[in-house]
Amino acid sequence: MNLIDILSQAFTLPFMWRAAIVLGALALAAGLIGVFVNLRGLEFMSDGLTHAVFPGVAAGFVFAGQGGVVIGAILAAALATVVLTLLSRRRVTSDAAIAIILTTMFSVGVIIVSRSHDVTASLEQLLFGHLFTVTTTEVITTALVCAIALALVLVTLRGQVFSSFDERGAAASGYGTLGLTLILNVAIACVVVAASIAVGNLLVLAVLIVPGAISRMWSRGLGGLFAGALIFALVAAALGLLGSFTVSVGADVAVPGGAAIAVVFVAGYMLSLLLRALVRDTSRSVEA
Amino acid sequence: MTETRLLNLNDVAFAYDGDVALDHVTMHIDPGQAVALIGPNGSGKSTMLKGVLGVIPLVHGEMTVFRPKKGRGQSGRIGYLPQDDDIDADFPITLRQVVMMGRYRRLGLFRFPAPDDRQAVADALEVTGLSSRANHRFGTLSGGQQQRGLLARAMATKPSLLLLDEPFNALDQPNRDALITTLNDLKARGVGILLTTHDLDLAREVCDSVLLVNGTQIAFGAREEVLTLANLQQAFRDVQVEVDEHTVVLPGHEH
Ligand SMILES: Nc1ncnc2c1ncn2[C@@H]1O[C@H](COP(=O)(O)OP(=O)(O)OP(=O)(O)O)[C@@H](O)[C@H]1O
Ligand SMILES: [Mg+2]
Repeated sequence: MNLIDILSQAFTLPFMWRAAIVLGALALAAGLIGVFVNLRGLEFMSDGLTHAVFPGVAAGFVFAGQGGVVIGAILAAALATVVLTLLSRRRVTSDAAIAIILTTMFSVGVIIVSRSHDVTASLEQLLFGHLFTVTTTEVITTALVCAIALALVLVTLRGQVFSSFDERGAAASGYGTLGLTLILNVAIACVVVAASIAVGNLLVLAVLIVPGAISRMWSRGLGGLFAGALIFALVAAALGLLGSFTVSVGADVAVPGGAAIAVVFVAGYMLSLLLRALVRDTSRSVEA
Repeated sequence: MTETRLLNLNDVAFAYDGDVALDHVTMHIDPGQAVALIGPNGSGKSTMLKGVLGVIPLVHGEMTVFRPKKGRGQSGRIGYLPQDDDIDADFPITLRQVVMMGRYRRLGLFRFPAPDDRQAVADALEVTGLSSRANHRFGTLSGGQQQRGLLARAMATKPSLLLLDEPFNALDQPNRDALITTLNDLKARGVGILLTTHDLDLAREVCDSVLLVNGTQIAFGAREEVLTLANLQQAFRDVQVEVDEHTVVLPGHEH
């Protein structure tokens, strides 16, 4: 079977369509929101959120079965977000706040898991993702969660840009910066939840952080920054999806979709770093 | 009269987390009036500006800031130049986009910049002498250029009230002169200005009134009435002050 055959066969399969929809929604949301994660240096907080999702998943499953997983994850992430945001305003350094929340949430998760046996399977799905076996319900939930994340940030876009650049200036010109931070963090939490389903909780960070980081390396202004991140996220997601399908079918080696996608994102980052080191910074040489 | 007033403070105190940094401020600014805010380091000048913006809380007294007819938030039409900014030098944004931020509140959520927004940005870049740098990345500009860029952002707001924290600080002589001209133009168009400075001569070039502080209000009023030796001595207990080209070494600093 050659490459063309494999690829043309790919989209006759319903599970590929489901995977593509989930990934497309995720790439858009992660591309946009990842820009702000990068601009505000929220990488560590995003990492904290991925852990905070864990007890939500466990509790959701215990109380409502498989269907409760996503809702549990969202609630846990939202709760952690609000607490983190408020704590970091209270002069607890945000790193300390994150460490405290993370440990608390994680222990709660462990306690819940230890009381139920069925949870582990669903937890495993969340930790490692299950791109090729998502159900139609999960497709809808993921798309919805991504849409909420996108809507939250798009509606507050100007305020988000302003306060990422200069929070005091934004407050001075009348923006409620606490509200903006909260909204952004909730959006990040949504992306974390959606990405947990698609690529797995452990690989979320690659999808969330890489597009913004790469785009920042190359942009001089805001337009390029957002466009670059969105385009990279979409292209890398497509490459990862088709790549893992091709290898799985063509070479008969089962490659988990989430891992393949994370690899493409990280490889893109490496490549970008390398190119950046080779190419002179154009924005700086203009100044002379 | 009070209706057209841009800013009115009556025995106001501002505090950081309960620690009062400035109190007993009773002053006002009318359209076209420029007030110099003068005092030694740590006397509460920046605090005063942040308090008027509503960034730090008022803990005593009454403050009325004019309300713009349209738009939310009392500070919608206040232009503000911070003394120090915590701006990330590596932020991928052009100077023009920074200045456009001054229009964000008018643009609201979804409206794209219209010709008058672009014009306001171009004008602000023009008067700050930065037109040729408009498409440069903000972080690649020099310190003085960045400060002028933030000043341009404040002016692009087309504010009724301008709050400038040490606007002359990073500027060279030609740019100081240019700023003085610009501020006098704005005054003539009815803009109210409150600016902090350590340079009494610069204050004199722009401001008709002076607010002298040192943790508390020492005096407020017409320039010549406030800048008396007695008042300055009270404000600058042990600092040298220049009064009319003579350097006065104030008591406490003499040997
Ligand atoms: N963020 C803050 N938190 C707590 N206290 C503060 C804060 N900023 C300033 N202060 C305190 O408030 C007082 C007034 O500070 P402010 O910055 O208003 O002085 P200033 O007159 O602007 O001084 P300078 O001439 O150095 O700019 C100082 O005692 C300072 O320590
Ligand atoms: Mg100051």
